[in-house]
Amino acid sequence: MATVRNPRAAGRVGRTAAGTAAIVLVVTVEVDGLVKCYRVHRRRAGLRAALGGLFRREYTEVRAVDGVGFSIAAGQIVGFLGPNGAGKTTTLKCLAGLLHPTAGTVRVLGHTPHQRERDFLRQVSLVMGQRNSLFWDLPALDAFEVNRVIYGIAPARYAAALAELVELLELEPLLTKQIRVLSLGERMRCELAGALLHEPRVLFLDEPTLGLDVTAQAAVRGFLRDYNASRGATVLLTSHYMGDVTALASRVLVIDHGRLRFDGDLSALARAHVTHRIVRLRLARPVPAAALAGYGEVVGTDGTALTLRVPATDTATVAARLLVAFDVVDVAIEDPPIEDVIRAVFAGG
Amino acid sequence: MGEFVRGYLGLVRASTQVAIAYRGRMVVWFLTGFFPLLLMAVWLTVVAGSGPPRGWTTGDFIGYYAAAAVLWHLSGQHVVWEWDADQRSGDLSVRLMRPMHPFHQYAASDLGHRVVALAMLVPVLALATLVTPGLQYHLTAVRALAVAAAVLLGYLLSLVMASVFALVGFWTTQTSNLYMLWWGMGSFVSGWVAPLALMPGWLRPAAGVLPFRTTMGFPIEVLTGRLAGTQVWFGFAVGLGWLGVFTVVYLAAWPHAVRRHQAVAG
Repeated sequence: MATVRNPRAAGRVGRTAAGTAAIVLVVTVEVDGLVKCYRVHRRRAGLRAALGGLFRREYTEVRAVDGVGFSIAAGQIVGFLGPNGAGKTTTLKCLAGLLHPTAGTVRVLGHTPHQRERDFLRQVSLVMGQRNSLFWDLPALDAFEVNRVIYGIAPARYAAALAELVELLELEPLLTKQIRVLSLGERMRCELAGALLHEPRVLFLDEPTLGLDVTAQAAVRGFLRDYNASRGATVLLTSHYMGDVTALASRVLVIDHGRLRFDGDLSALARAHVTHRIVRLRLARPVPAAALAGYGEVVGTDGTALTLRVPATDTATVAARLLVAFDVVDVAIEDPPIEDVIRAVFAGG
Repeated sequence: MGEFVRGYLGLVRASTQVAIAYRGRMVVWFLTGFFPLLLMAVWLTVVAGSGPPRGWTTGDFIGYYAAAAVLWHLSGQHVVWEWDADQRSGDLSVRLMRPMHPFHQYAASDLGHRVVALAMLVPVLALATLVTPGLQYHLTAVRALAVAAAVLLGYLLSLVMASVFALVGFWTTQTSNLYMLWWGMGSFVSGWVAPLALMPGWLRPAAGVLPFRTTMGFPIEVLTGRLAGTQVWFGFAVGLGWLGVFTVVYLAAWPHAVRRHQAVAG
């Protein structure tokens, strides 16, 4: 049986014919054969080309998403991975209802997103790292109040949600400041609060940590993890920061050239594409790097600390040989960084 | 419904706060509110040189353009600029994600700004009616109601008309210039450049049935008592007819327009 992070939110507790309790997984997102094409105007650089464009325009069709299909159970955090222009954000925007699919079907919470039904919009939220959704000229507290009235949040529920978000995101000092004067990290924390005041069941995050420093990134990730755990919200995330995905997503969808290349958990992705492993050794005394030549590729030496890159199939054998041949104090075998795995996925074609 | 109204009022309130966030901008608005008085000055110069047109006194011109200063601020055309900018920058995506139609978001935002502009302008004009010779409106309760209805109709029509043009941006990316062409042509027959009563005889009937008069000249004509009862009803009928036409066009075009939204920039 599939496991979910938050069974309470992810599924209904039903009864089988035998009368025993069973968790029924509720599918929140269903995508089938999703295609999205854009008609893009192209022209060469320069004034001459610009003048020429007045009389003759060249358009090309870009197939940003090409037959993608998947489903997501309630309560999951799913990360979209892929290089620039792969179709991640386009897919996310189709799920959020901003884009009409060229072909295929999309269902989120039982709704067709691009029909933009009020009931659907009240249950979802989209946070775009490079876009401001709060009233720019208002203090944060007033900007949140705007969201309260737009989403029709009852005052008591709003007060409770706001108090919780203010505490979790440490917003107290920011509440009386205009949004436009906040730093990027402060603004993103306010954006998250604004997006979550109505307690959405599905949260779309497009590069939520873009441009944030390491501390702010960690704060946002921690908050999102807690929100998912406590509310059982489904979270769909695109990010160029692998740290976002590894810290949050239990499942990844790898998209490249508009096609779904992988759908599964990160460790499965690693297993499928890892050709080498990293062996870290700490020895009792230094040895020359040349002495390790027959064990694998030496990728780092620092006194008694050595790092080897070893073919994945030989890892156990090599580790055993190293333990016999050297005075090993400590040994660790790791998968390569997920960035390298992703690079291998796309390099594999 | 109550929730929708509360949402609307909340957005108007927020927009009002945005409008008063910058004091310098408020001063500029206040000054631009008197632009119609420049046209009044032109007409008064003409009147001083060659005598007033038949049936018009100097006081009539003052009364007409003082009212035009208020209508000028109720043009509703600002929504085109907001739509236009949001479509090109991608900020429209933010509005599309809210559980309120973008039309209402732009309208509420515009209304908030109008509230501030009128709050500055109307007291000044009211004071002016007390101290300026010839600037007097003889209002009965019925006429006051008719004026209020005509102003509301004019504002709604200009808002919906501008919003229809805003939808063109889904096809052309940029739409404000097209609207300015429409508005510029319309200003000649709206009563903005000159009262309709002073226009050439061949143009007057056409101006009377086009949508532009509803947004400017008609409410002023009702206010100044220049229209007979049937003419008032005719004016309302024309305005309501155009409001219906543009509303239908908007509602019919919207589903096709929003399909073309490209959610650019991120």
